[in-house]
Amino acid sequence: MFEKYPKEHRYTLAMLQDLQKEYGYIPKEKLLELSQYLDIPLSKLYSMATFYKALSLKPKGRYIIKVCDGTACHIRSSKSLLDEIENSLGIKPGETTKDGKFSLEVVNCLGSCAIAPVMVINDRYYGKLTSSKVREILREYGGAGDE
Amino acid sequence: MNRTVYVCCGTGCLANNSLDVYRELKRLIEEHEVDADVKTIVKATGCNGLCEKGPLVKIEPDNICYSKVKASDVKEIVEKTLINGQIVNRLLIFDTAQGKKVISHKDTDFYKSQQKIALRNIGEIDPANIDDYIERGGYEALSKVLFQMTPEGVISEIEKSGLRGRGGGGFPTGRKWRQCCNVNYFPKYVICNGDEGDPGAFMDRSILEGDPNTVIEGMIICAYSIKSHRGFIYIRDEYSLALKNMDCALRQARERGYLGKNIMNSGFDFDIEIVRGGGAFVCGESTALMQSIEGNVGEPRAKYIHSVEKGLWGQPTVLNNVETWANVPEIIMKGSDWFSSIGTENSKGTKVFSLVGKVKNTGLVEIPMGTTLRELVFKIGGGIIGDKKFKAVQSGGPSGGCIPESLMDLPVDFDTLKNIGSMMGSGGMIVMDERTCMVDVARYYLNFLSEESCGKCVACREGIKRMLEILTDICNGKGSEEDLDLLESLCHTVEEASLCGLGKTAPNPVLTTLKYFKDEYYAHIRDKRCPAGVCPELTEYEIDEKLCISCGLCAKNCPASAIWGEKGKPYYINTESCVKCGNCLDSCKFNAVGVKKGARL
Amino acid sequence: MKITIDGIFCEAEKGEMLLQIARRNNIYIPTLCHSDALPGLGTCRLCVVEILDRGRKGVVASCIYPVKNEIEVFTHSDKIKSIRRNLLMLLYARTPQDETIDSLRKEYHVPDNIRFSGDKDEHCILCGLCVRACQELGTSAISTVNRGITKKVSTPYDEPSTQCIGCGSCAYLCPTNAIKIEEINGVRTIWNKEFRLVRCTRCGKPFATKEQLEYNRKKLGEDHVELLCESCKKAVTGEKLRDIYERV
Repeated sequence: MFEKYPKEHRYTLAMLQDLQKEYGYIPKEKLLELSQYLDIPLSKLYSMATFYKALSLKPKGRYIIKVCDGTACHIRSSKSLLDEIENSLGIKPGETTKDGKFSLEVVNCLGSCAIAPVMVINDRYYGKLTSSKVREILREYGGAGDE
Repeated sequence: MNRTVYVCCGTGCLANNSLDVYRELKRLIEEHEVDADVKTIVKATGCNGLCEKGPLVKIEPDNICYSKVKASDVKEIVEKTLINGQIVNRLLIFDTAQGKKVISHKDTDFYKSQQKIALRNIGEIDPANIDDYIERGGYEALSKVLFQMTPEGVISEIEKSGLRGRGGGGFPTGRKWRQCCNVNYFPKYVICNGDEGDPGAFMDRSILEGDPNTVIEGMIICAYSIKSHRGFIYIRDEYSLALKNMDCALRQARERGYLGKNIMNSGFDFDIEIVRGGGAFVCGESTALMQSIEGNVGEPRAKYIHSVEKGLWGQPTVLNNVETWANVPEIIMKGSDWFSSIGTENSKGTKVFSLVGKVKNTGLVEIPMGTTLRELVFKIGGGIIGDKKFKAVQSGGPSGGCIPESLMDLPVDFDTLKNIGSMMGSGGMIVMDERTCMVDVARYYLNFLSEESCGKCVACREGIKRMLEILTDICNGKGSEEDLDLLESLCHTVEEASLCGLGKTAPNPVLTTLKYFKDEYYAHIRDKRCPAGVCPELTEYEIDEKLCISCGLCAKNCPASAIWGEKGKPYYINTESCVKCGNCLDSCKFNAVGVKKGARL
Repeated sequence: MKITIDGIFCEAEKGEMLLQIARRNNIYIPTLCHSDALPGLGTCRLCVVEILDRGRKGVVASCIYPVKNEIEVFTHSDKIKSIRRNLLMLLYARTPQDETIDSLRKEYHVPDNIRFSGDKDEHCILCGLCVRACQELGTSAISTVNRGITKKVSTPYDEPSTQCIGCGSCAYLCPTNAIKIEEINGVRTIWNKEFRLVRCTRCGKPFATKEQLEYNRKKLGEDHVELLCESCKKAVTGEKLRDIYERV
C-alpha cells in the first residue's frame, strides 16, 4: 500500500494516515515496514505517530465515538454527554470496550459549533444533543445495556 | 424559465439530514418534471451560515427560503410551491427580531447586517461544479491578472487594499507578498493554511466546503505575483467534506486550464496539491505547518528569520489562511479603492465570524470591520438564548480573551481587540451567559493548550501545566489569593519567553478573565462558591419556593433522581445525591431553580 | 558591525548568534540546552535577553537569535531576571532533586519552598539535546514522544533500539544527568539495552562498545583502528610527540 507514494520524506504523514485508515491503528510491523520503505529511522516515525492525534498505536473499536469539547460545546454542557456515554458503555475517553465495538474520544472542535453540543460516530454527525438523546443513539448502535 | 432549488449541504445541515432532503427533492422533481413547463434544477450548496435553522432549502427566482426541512416535507414543497406557486407557511423562518415569519432568509436581521465578500458565493453555488463558480464571475480576476497586470501591479493593488491576514495576527497581506517577491532565490512556494483549529470556529471549513475555487484563484494570483510554481493547501483531516470538495475543485480547475502548465494560454505554470493535517492544533502555526508538510513532527521554529525568506524546505514562502485567499479575487475585480472603503482606519474589508455559544442565531456571519460587538451579538445574533443575562464574548480562541459587557460598544477590528487583551484570531465569537463560569473558561483553554502545545519549549509546556494546576485548584475550591499573583506572574513569563505564537498568546484567556472577572475568582477562593453554578465542588442549587409551580420538569430532567416533590407543593433538591449537572436550572421555565447564594463553608 | 551587550561594544558578523557573541566577549548568559557542537535548539529559554532594535524592545532567545542590525542587548535586566526566576521555578518543580537545576535556582534566588511539586526521580527537562545529538550522529535511536505536557524522550515503544550503538553521546551532552548509563563487569546498559564493552589493547580497561567501534569504522572508512581508550590514545600520542622532539 506504500507504492502509490514516491519514496519521499514528505509523504510520511500521508502514509501514516493511510495505515491508520486501513487498520484502524498503526500496527508495529507496519511502522517497521514503512521505516524500511522510506529509509527513515523508526524513532522518527514513532515520534510522529505519537505526536499527531489522528494517528494511534492502539487498536480502536468498530465505532469511534468522538465527543466534541470545543468551546461552544463545552459551554453547552458537552460534559453531560460524556458522562452519559461513560456510564452507558463503561469506558473512559481513550478507551475501547472489551468487545472491541466502541472507542470513546474527546476531540477539540469539529467545526459544527452551530449545532452544539455535537458528537460523531464514525462519520455521522449528531447535533444539539442531550443525555437522553445520546442514550437513544447508543441504543440504535446496540450499545447501551446489551452486554 | 428555469427554477433552482438550493439545498444547504454544509456540515451543520448535513448533520440534520439535509442529504435526505436533497435526494428526495431530486426524486420527486424528476417524477413531476414530465409534464412541467418550468425546468427545475436541484443544487447542493455550501453553508448558508444560518446553521441554527438548518437544513435550509432556497427556491430561486421565487426568493423563498424554508428552514428545518425534513425529507417528509419535500412532497408538500414540490406540490404546493413548485407546482402551484404557494408558500408552505409552517416552513418559513421565524425572525425573532421582527416577531414574525419571513419569506426570504434575506429579510432577517441575521442577513441584513451582513456584507459578503469572502462568503459571496457560498450557498449560491454548487461547490462541486466549477461552472457555477465561473457563472458568478469566477476566474475573471485570474484572467485580468494574467493578461492585463504585471506582478508588481498585483502586489501594489493588494497592498493598497489594506487587506490583512485573516488567520489571527493580521499581518498586511500585500507587504508579505512584496517581501517574498523581493527575495531573489527560487523555487518559491504558496501555501493555504486550512488547519483551522480554534475551538468554536468554522469559517475556513465553510469556505473550503462551499467555495473551494475562490481559494484556488486567490493562490494562483499570488503565485503569479511572486513567480511561484507550486502551492499546497493544508486541510485538517477531520474536515472530510472540505477535502473532498477541494480535491474535486482542483481536478476541474486543471481540466479547464486554470491550473497546471500554461494557465489560460498565458505561459504561466502553477499547480496545487492538498496535504492532509494530522490532528494537531499547533500546526495552525505557520512554521509548524511547514514542518508538517515536509513530513515532520509539527514543532514550530523561532521566526527571527521570516518564512517569506526561509519557509517551506528553507525556500521563500507566502502562507495565508483560507479567508484571506477568498478575498483576493474580489479585490482584483472590484479594486483596492472599493475594498479599502469598507471597514475602519487600519482594518479594511469584512471579517467572517462563527457566532456560537449561548446566542440565539448561531452560525456564520460576515460583517464589515468596525461593526460593534453589541450589534454582532444582539442584532445579528438575536441576543441570548432564553433571554438569560449576557456575560462575555470570547474572541480569538485559545489565543484570545473574554470581553465583558462594558466593552461591547467597541468596534470589531484587529487593533481594538488587541488593545483590550483579546485578539481577532481566525474569527470564533463565543457568546457566554450567566451560566458560564469564567474561571472554568480559563481552565478550559489551558487544558486545551496543555494537550495541544507541541511541548518543545519550557516556558509553554511547564508554564501551561502549572497555570492549569492553579486554575484546577481554584475550580475545586482549593485556591488561595496568593495563587492569583503567581498566576499572573506565570502569565507574563509564558507570554514573553515562549518560542512560538501558541505559547506567547496562551495566557490571554487567563489574563482577560483576571482583569474583567476577578470577582468570580474571589467568589471561588474566598466564598468557595461558583456563581455560575458550573464548578461541581463549589455549586449547590436550590429551588425558590415562591417561584416553583411544582410542574415537576426539573425532577424529570434530573439524572440522579435528587429532586422530590408533589403536586401543589414546591419541589426540593437533595444536596447529598445531587451530581451538580445543572439540568434542573436549565430546564426550569420559571427561574425557580438557582445557584445558592452566599458563602459556603 | 557593532552591537552593545550590557553597555559593552562587541564586534559581530551579520547572522551570528547573539549567545556566541556574548560568550566570545565573556558576558555570562545561563543556558541548559546549548552545546557548542550543535546548532541552537531554543528550548530551555534560559538564555533569553532583552533587545532594543530601532527603538523597539523585545525578548529573544539569544542562542538562536541571528544579529541583523546594530542592536542593544541587555542580558540581566529586571524583566529578564524575573523571567529566568520563573523558568527556574518551573524547572525546579519538574526536577526537584536535580543538582544542576538546584544550583541555578540558588543563583537566581528562587526559594526552595515553591507551590508546585514534581517527581523526585525526574531529571529530564526535555531540552532535546540528546535527541539532536543522536540524530546528528546518524543513529536516531531516540526521539521525542507525545506532545504537550505528556512529552518525553524514549526509544520506539520503550524497547531496546536496534539503532542504538551505546556510544553514550546522549548522556554525555545531557545538562542534567537524566540519562542513566551503567557499566558493570564490562557491560554497559543504556536505554534498556546491554552492550559488551571492548577492552583497550594497551591498559586493558573496557572503554567502548563493539557497535560503536563498528560504527566508527564504517563512518571513517578506516579498517585498522587501534583499540585504545581515550587516556591511552592521549598517552600514545604524547609518546609519539616526545619521540619526535627527542629526535629533533
